Amino acid sequence: MAKDTIPLLETKLHAPRRHHGVVARPRLAQRLHASDLPALTLISAPAGFGKTTAALELFGDEQRRGWVSLDRRDNEPAVFWSYVVAALDSIEPGVGDSARSLFRSPLQSSDPALATLINDIDALDHDLVLVLDDYHLIEAPEIHSDVTFLLEHRPPQLHLVVVTRSDPPLPLAALRARGELLEIRVSDLRFTVEESAAYLNDAMGLALTTGDVERLGARTEGWAAALQLAALSLQGHADAASFVDGFSGDDRFILDYLVDEVLDRQTPEVRAFLLETSILERLTGPLCDAVTLRSDGKALLETLDRANLFLVPLDDRREWYRYHHLFADVLRARLLDERPDVVADLHRRALAWFDANGDVVEAITHALESDAEAAARLIELAAPTVRGARQDATLRGWLEALPGDVLADRPVLAVALAGARMATGDAAGVAQLATMVEHRLQADEPPVVFDHEAFARIPAQLAMHRAALALLGGELDESMRHARRVLDLAGPSDHLERGAGSALLGLSAWANGDLEESELRYAAAIDCFIAGDFLPDVLGCSVALGDMQIAKGRLADAMNTFERGRLIVEEHPGLRGAADMHVGLAEVLLERNRVADAEKHLRVARDLGEAAGLPQNPYRLRVADARLQRALGDLQRSLELLEEAERLYNTDFSPSVRPVTAMKVRLQVEMGDLEAGRSWAAVAGLSADDEPNYLREFEQLTFASVLIALGGAGDAEAVNDAIRLLTRVHAAAELGGRQANAVEALALLGRAHGQPEQQIPTFTKADLAPSTTLVDPLSQRELGVLRLLKSELSGPEIARELHVSLNTFRTHTKNIYMKLGVNNRREVVRRAAELGL
Amino acid sequence: MCAHQVPSYVAFVQYEIRVKGHLAARWSTWFDGMTLTADEDGTTVIRGGLVDQSALHGLLERLRDIGIPLISLTEIPFDASTNDGAKPQNPEGD
Repeated sequence: MAKDTIPLLETKLHAPRRHHGVVARPRLAQRLHASDLPALTLISAPAGFGKTTAALELFGDEQRRGWVSLDRRDNEPAVFWSYVVAALDSIEPGVGDSARSLFRSPLQSSDPALATLINDIDALDHDLVLVLDDYHLIEAPEIHSDVTFLLEHRPPQLHLVVVTRSDPPLPLAALRARGELLEIRVSDLRFTVEESAAYLNDAMGLALTTGDVERLGARTEGWAAALQLAALSLQGHADAASFVDGFSGDDRFILDYLVDEVLDRQTPEVRAFLLETSILERLTGPLCDAVTLRSDGKALLETLDRANLFLVPLDDRREWYRYHHLFADVLRARLLDERPDVVADLHRRALAWFDANGDVVEAITHALESDAEAAARLIELAAPTVRGARQDATLRGWLEALPGDVLADRPVLAVALAGARMATGDAAGVAQLATMVEHRLQADEPPVVFDHEAFARIPAQLAMHRAALALLGGELDESMRHARRVLDLAGPSDHLERGAGSALLGLSAWANGDLEESELRYAAAIDCFIAGDFLPDVLGCSVALGDMQIAKGRLADAMNTFERGRLIVEEHPGLRGAADMHVGLAEVLLERNRVADAEKHLRVARDLGEAAGLPQNPYRLRVADARLQRALGDLQRSLELLEEAERLYNTDFSPSVRPVTAMKVRLQVEMGDLEAGRSWAAVAGLSADDEPNYLREFEQLTFASVLIALGGAGDAEAVNDAIRLLTRVHAAAELGGRQANAVEALALLGRAHGQPEQQIPTFTKADLAPSTTLVDPLSQRELGVLRLLKSELSGPEIARELHVSLNTFRTHTKNIYMKLGVNNRREVVRRAAELGL
Repeated sequence: MCAHQVPSYVAFVQYEIRVKGHLAARWSTWFDGMTLTADEDGTTVIRGGLVDQSALHGLLERLRDIGIPLISLTEIPFDASTNDGAKPQNPEGD
């Protein structure tokens, strides 16, 4: 198999050929108005009512019709959309090109990919019809919501046809109300007496009386498959009337009756052939030979096809067929009943054939029904490719079909199952799998291994899963312990494991207040994830890293972190975390008082939508917006946003260093609501004599600002308490490199001592009047450049003076402008003077 | 085949599903060993124990796929005195 791809089956993209003897049913065709195709045509009826034929009849123009015959394996979004894009591409080359690479794993949003596809279709000047046959086989909720998205944002050129046995969970009621839904249901598909007569007498060449046609119609209730079986039986019957008598008088389920009739009329050889090959989803001569141990498979298939015995050709060359689903189910049931002992052997022979012919996916399907050990071997060897193609749901399905004892003896597979579960968002049973593997590895007897590279990675992967589980369980120290082991055990090219280990250590360091360590670990994690192309994880870490850098007052670094993330998203649209990068940039800009620019980024973040954000984004977006509103002077709106944020907050694992409740209190106090401050302080369990505590630092500063406000209302004691607390907090913050909090503590101290022109820092020092300290200090190099900027020398002359290139000089200058918050050289000089540089 | 042993203390829930038409007993294996009883009114009662809702939906899907009309579905209270159609319990116990 090609790296990272599993090839598409061409046969799924061809509409089935029409059966012989199909009658035209103009009654159905009339439901459609060619000039006014509906957005969605739903053909929903039980098996065997001629749905596919109806779709072919209604949408016969192959020029503009794409077709996908769905099966259970298409429940993986990446696979489903590959087929859809391929189908559309076959009628409109190029239409899915940009979208194709964007459809990814179940945990990533398909919305941007869908948007791209929608735009491509919207640019066409003619209509397209897309038929999805056997849609009832799709169960994945992500696919249903994607198709819903497609319908809700449908370009007028696209007309969807869904053929199914059960009504799909799509917005049918809404489409029906808007008149955009055409429904063809079982009552429409039942053959009328006239249509039955046309079929039986004209198409099938029988010479039935009207009475007989009516009785057949009554007994079959217009069920096309039953009529077809009856017709086949009648073709071999000399006495039509007695057949109809017997059929009408019988109580048996008509399918049972009719299939028995048809099967009984076959030679024992053909009957056996039919039963034995019923286990195959797709049939071709050599495959049938392998399964039935005969040599005339190809010829038999052709005979059956000509006899119209429910074989559906899958291609033009009549190489591949499948049985009509209904017929196949009946045959399989008969096989199970008559020869249960032989079923496993049949699957084993199919497995061998597919394995020899390089079709691993089919081989695995049959192996799972017959030879668990063969299945395990095939799955182990296929796993890297399947994972690389991001088809974790498929892999998980296979592994969960294996018996427990087979899995227990194969640690590579057990770990793969753990990984597949985590990748599909389900931590259930992962701890038990890890324990099982650990025990197995300690046993004397060597386990069964086929992929030795994967085997070597097991210890690191187990540690990684254990670290993640501990985190999910809120056990930070435990998580750290495992994370350290991951780094010890992982090899230099095990990027996922190294990245995950570093990120977890970064998180625990942060929770312990060690920002230095945390920053190093997160930066390392980002590098590993980039090296291994695990881009969603890059963005997740970037959020943590950027937030930390802001807390440390290192705004240029924070800017870089979020910018780098933003560029990654630009190159890979559809990644979750795009919105978070913009929110992060907005936060940095607010720190710099660049309110208009911050507003722009927040707007982009909002427009990207929830699907483009990591789980915490709705919360972060509102907090940033609240700060923006505060900067614009709209305190009421700011408060509303914080209240929304409060409701949205979900404890993930990042320490809550800026609790939204505390933010709210600051705002309320500023708006004059001292009572809110008092009641919060009462329950927050804070006192002026508390020891500084990194995790509660923001709350301590909030508490101090409440005290100061109370002081302003006449409580002198409160002010003294505030000063005491602030002095200690300021010292601790400075020591811990938490610049943002240190500056704020200083400003509050100033206020406590009665310096009136300082605004209450509701959030951080961003909205203070010209600050007397630089949050983001200039480097030595930059100071050197600054000194020369004050002179009369030109740019190139300064560069020469410092022995640097002009580009380097320009970079330094840009950074200086950024840090000083200015736009030109004259302002630089002025501002530098203000700051005493 | 599945990767977990069903613990012996899990009681299978008994269901009775009625379909239109006489479905022959030889469908039993196809329907997970449920018993099929033809009724005089032309319907068939499919009776047996299923381990959970997913198994129930799987069974309903198989019925859907052969196109036999569903009439009713009832949960039967467990009667310890009879083991009519119940799945065998794990003899190892818990």
